[in-house]
Amino acid sequence: MGMRIQNHPILEFTEKKPVRFFYEGKQMVGREGDTIASALHANGINVLSRSVKDNRPRGFYCAIGNCGSCQMRVDGVNNVRTCITELTPNMHIERQRGLADDQT
Amino acid sequence: MKADAVIIGAGISGSSIAWHLAKKGMRNIKVFDASYLTAGATGRCGAGVRTQWGTKTNCLLAKKSMEFFEEAGDLLDYKEDIEFKQAGYLILATTREEEAIFDKNIKVQHDIGIPSKRLTVQEALQIVPHLNPDSFLSASFCEKDGHLNPFRMTDAFYQAAKRLGVEFFFYEPVTDIKTNHASIEAVITDRRIIETDVVIDAAGGHAKEIAAMAGIDVPVFSEKHEILATEPTYPMQDPMVMSFSKNIYCQQVPHGSFLMGRSNPDAKHNHDVTSSWQFLEKMAKTVCDILPDIGKLRVVRQWGGLYNNSPDRQPIISSVDELPGFYVACGFSGHGFMFSPITGDLISDLILDKEPAINAAALSIKRFDETSNGDYETSVV
Repeated sequence: MGMRIQNHPILEFTEKKPVRFFYEGKQMVGREGDTIASALHANGINVLSRSVKDNRPRGFYCAIGNCGSCQMRVDGVNNVRTCITELTPNMHIERQRGLADDQT
Repeated sequence: MKADAVIIGAGISGSSIAWHLAKKGMRNIKVFDASYLTAGATGRCGAGVRTQWGTKTNCLLAKKSMEFFEEAGDLLDYKEDIEFKQAGYLILATTREEEAIFDKNIKVQHDIGIPSKRLTVQEALQIVPHLNPDSFLSASFCEKDGHLNPFRMTDAFYQAAKRLGVEFFFYEPVTDIKTNHASIEAVITDRRIIETDVVIDAAGGHAKEIAAMAGIDVPVFSEKHEILATEPTYPMQDPMVMSFSKNIYCQQVPHGSFLMGRSNPDAKHNHDVTSSWQFLEKMAKTVCDILPDIGKLRVVRQWGGLYNNSPDRQPIISSVDELPGFYVACGFSGHGFMFSPITGDLISDLILDKEPAINAAALSIKRFDETSNGDYETSVV
């Protein structure tokens, strides 16, 4: 898993249980305790949404649920703040198109 | 400094008056504002424009204004989008008494050619499918009503007025108005004296205080009204949904956010514009009753602004007998933005001694002197 820190000079990361989830229908694996956004990052997904006007890529930004940059569609619910929402097994995560349209 | 006319207030009313005056040929017009363009009630309003009113005067003001908005981009030669969206106002009747009032109002509206109509619950649901059908009995709808961006609309008047030579002064509060017997001599700001004999009070929430500087008592008061905005979402509601009895208006603006507001019956008469959690709680409960799906959206911000209320909830657009040269445009009771084109037209006609488009007596400050048996506007949130 590319982005996950394995060795850190101060902190220790114990091996946590794998959690299966789906991004745009594709099966991926995160770790217990991950937020949705951290699990996606660990899987190399760093474009979490797109700007409404110009469709520019938007990624992990404020990390405290304020900025809206990481809002995604989770299990059919629009505008979930993935940076502060914990990953649970078998979640279906999708990128929103424009203003979170109502199509599935 | 000298001026042929001084306008106090650079909100939508002052900007419209400035442009109308200049367009009709007046020169050397100066506009003063204590803050920036749209800093007061204009920039804090709900951005709705409607023609469905209960009094003939308000219906006429609204109809004339709507005709202007339809052509505003061309008339003012404005390059930006004023975001005028005529998707209608759907007004819900929730009691038998309110239904009777709507039946009466619609006759007043039809008499002057406003194409409003009464709708059943089923017909209303076709226009706004996420309405709670149990929350109302019937509705009133006019497709000509809608949304307009207050910042862009004011900027359009402002830019056009400047091109005609009007000068604007921002962050320069008027501190006094100098009169001598029954004539105006000068307007005094915190940094200069402007000699003039024509003053237009378009100070919105502070109109009473400005008039008092000239010794004029205007029977208006200001009170706070609050609004909240949700996160933007996909287009799901075309018209403004409104209910007087449930005390709510709620519309989705073009960029996707919902704006909604309600009045506080216990609001104090002052200039407070702070936000309150009490509003947030009551607003959320009200909107979830009639538009439950909107409860899923997050609130991203809220703000307050001032209604400047007149005794009969209709504007005061008037000259003042005691002080020739002094004009007031205030008391819009929450609707100065949507009446702004006709406000500018009427005030400029009064000043330039032209025949006004609407009977000026109905809007005169003098109507409050007499034992009033005039119309009271009840169609207000």
